Amino acid sequence: MDFDLSPEEQKFSDEVEQWLVEHHDPVVMDHHRENFSQLSDTPERRAFMKKLADKGWLGMSWPKEYGGQEIEGVYEFILNEALSKHAAPQIGKGVGIIGKTLIRHGSDKLKQEFLPKILTADVEFAVGYSEPQAGSDAANMQLKAEKVEGGWKLNGQKMWTTSAHFADWYWVGARTDPDKKKHDGLSLFLIPMDHPGLEVQSLPTIGKDTTNQVFFEDVFVPDDYLVGERGRGFHMISEALDLERFTMFTLSPITNRTDLLVDWVKQAKRDGKPLKDDPQTRKTIANIATDTAVAKALSTRFICAAMKGGKPPTIQSSQYKLFTTTLSQRVCDEALDISSAAGTIREGQELAPLLGRFEGAYRATMNETVGGGASEIQKNIIARRHLGLPKNF
Amino acid sequence: MDLEFSEEQEAIRDMTRALLEEHSSVEIVRQMEDDPKGYPDALWKQMAESGLVGALVPESYGGGGLTLLDAALIYEEIGRAMAPVPHFVSGVISAGLLLEAGSEAQKDEWLPKIASGDAILTPAWLEPERGYGEEGVQATATADGGEVVLSGTKLHVNYAGAADRLIVLARGDAGVDLFLVDPSSSGVTLTHYLSQSAEPHYKVELDGVRVPADARIGGAGTGWASYGTVLHQGIILLAAQAIGGAARCLEETVDYANTRVQFDKPLGAFQALAHYMADASTRIDGGRVLVHEAAWNAAQGRSIARFAPMAKLFCCTAYQETTRACAQIWGGVAFTIEYDTQMFFRRAKELQLSWWDVPYLEELVAKDVLDG
Ligand SMILES: Cc1cc2nc3c(=O)[nH]c(=O)nc-3n(C[C@H](O)[C@H](O)[C@H](O)COP(=O)(O)OP(=O)(O)OC[C@H]3O[C@@H](n4cnc5c(N)ncnc54)[C@H](O)[C@@H]3O)c2cc1C
Repeated sequence: MDFDLSPEEQKFSDEVEQWLVEHHDPVVMDHHRENFSQLSDTPERRAFMKKLADKGWLGMSWPKEYGGQEIEGVYEFILNEALSKHAAPQIGKGVGIIGKTLIRHGSDKLKQEFLPKILTADVEFAVGYSEPQAGSDAANMQLKAEKVEGGWKLNGQKMWTTSAHFADWYWVGARTDPDKKKHDGLSLFLIPMDHPGLEVQSLPTIGKDTTNQVFFEDVFVPDDYLVGERGRGFHMISEALDLERFTMFTLSPITNRTDLLVDWVKQAKRDGKPLKDDPQTRKTIANIATDTAVAKALSTRFICAAMKGGKPPTIQSSQYKLFTTTLSQRVCDEALDISSAAGTIREGQELAPLLGRFEGAYRATMNETVGGGASEIQKNIIARRHLGLPKNF
Repeated sequence: MDLEFSEEQEAIRDMTRALLEEHSSVEIVRQMEDDPKGYPDALWKQMAESGLVGALVPESYGGGGLTLLDAALIYEEIGRAMAPVPHFVSGVISAGLLLEAGSEAQKDEWLPKIASGDAILTPAWLEPERGYGEEGVQATATADGGEVVLSGTKLHVNYAGAADRLIVLARGDAGVDLFLVDPSSSGVTLTHYLSQSAEPHYKVELDGVRVPADARIGGAGTGWASYGTVLHQGIILLAAQAIGGAARCLEETVDYANTRVQFDKPLGAFQALAHYMADASTRIDGGRVLVHEAAWNAAQGRSIARFAPMAKLFCCTAYQETTRACAQIWGGVAFTIEYDTQMFFRRAKELQLSWWDVPYLEELVAKDVLDG
């Protein structure tokens, strides 16, 4: 048993930490973006991603023949935690979902076209799985892909495509085989985001970022841009999730917020008295600090399981995500309770405690228990796969 | 990072589980409920012979010299089996106090006997209408010639009926002191009363009990600090015990949910119930790693000022909540004596209330987080 990083891992962690301090950029590393810095499309953010690429930190776990270093996944975990701790953009879906799926299933053409650009941070992707009728039930995608001469014609609608308004390429699931079973009738496509027939409509959120709906009207995709095998789309999507365990949902933003709240309580006053002496506040802080330690324990548990290789640590990651996202929201909620009436002041104004960090975070974290597999879906997974209970939905 | 146990540690766990399955079956646990002595000789003897009783006593005193991390594995098994033994009061707290502050003579006299199970020691700490803090200790220790005179009333003294010595916390001129007291001394009255968990509890009345001055453990006024140090280690083990109890209660509940049918479905197919169990398992599995982290830090010689109270706070609450949810899943039978759920249910609440309760633990954490 060992709760410390190995000396090599610690060395890497220190190196990243020092590099992030040296390359601090207040535009790119904005804590008020609450773990979504990767979604802000600024020239500064793009330049920052190029710097990460120059450091060789993109695709570290990829095979050497594709420009990776074949380094263990734990290094990507360390990197992503450090990036999110500094509110910097994280390494993202190109290196993760798309790169790894192409490496395993892509044609040589697709590999040559995309992998080098991913490693140099020269391409931005949007991921389109969700639809009006396919949320938690992602396999229920209805976007229609009809076989035509030389390719496919896509018609229908996607929901919730984050980054669609600035991405270069669209990674899309569509139904190519409507006669087959739900899970076996889907295929994956790569489509240029500026393709005629694609219409992106913004869906503003109560967080800082907008997401999008995307409408498809006779969008033609050449055969070459169907990824992997026809009908294997859903299986590749699931596999990519498993491959992405190391970087799925970072803990640092939550530990950061707990620390921030503690530091604020330590020096804040109410009615002239130190807030930290208020018994109710002390109780709240004790429980948040304790549960933050448990979240860290669950993170360690799933990272250790992932490092062992073999079976993907599905159960460990479900438990981690369930507990941590719930805690994340609670930290914000409790922080606003501690702030009392001042907690109502909208983020970004001098009048607000901590410039309204927690008012903003209260809104920004609302979707954490829904996106990336809702809490209820995680509980279904734990109940069935971990406890061996019957299928319950 | 690596959460695996060594082969030796796995062997300790397996041995403890096998021993307790045989000698601490539910039937045996039930027989011991409300018993004034509270533990079966056969079980205690087996645990002593296999080295479990003296696990935390150094080898030089005839013990196993195990680390707190090893002991956490043993305590998870004790929790699973609801083992009725005076191990915590004797082999953890009393042995810990002697190791922390005892004189060579005290250690030589008592540690080998604690390790072999031949002597049982238990702390006499809490008092009626007083709290868990230092000011809760108001029993008096008055120097009189070469002796000390002890007076006061103690509650929640576990296994006192079988104890060879009490370790009494009493207030002298310099503050709280610890004294070794023979419970058969004149002026000591033990009264057994029933507790929620059905583990033996005693009221101990001290009425001008005279002990020699060298019965004090540690320097004058250092008793509370020693007690705090040892209790910090001890509560990590109680957190492990809570995880063991919660895990077994949940396992039994999952089995039941897979077999009991209502509305033509096994109970576990009702999502409302499945989600209680998924939540409980998440808290148990997370709590277990927190216990290991706390125990590992202790074994590494690092501070446990924060981890120890966090571990007990979280794990005892998880145990209590798990047993509440499990009782709901069992339905009406959970309320009957015949079914075992109630045994976990009562023990979970008692464990949460004992050896520092929720508000006290919260304040320990708050102090470390906010006042540091
Ligand atoms: C800001 C934002 C960004 C997003 N970005 C992307 C993106 O880039 N790409 C993409 O593909 N998707 C994206 N999503 C979609 C996201 O993955 C979905 O919102 C999520 O999968 C849930 O689907 P839904 O919103 O349709 O809710 P639903 O699936 O309708 O769920 C509603 C409620 O029902 C519960 N529920 C559903 N099924 C069950 C069940 N079997 N048992 C118990 N309860 C159940 C859910 O847990 C939830 O509480 C984004 C969403 C948001 C809000």
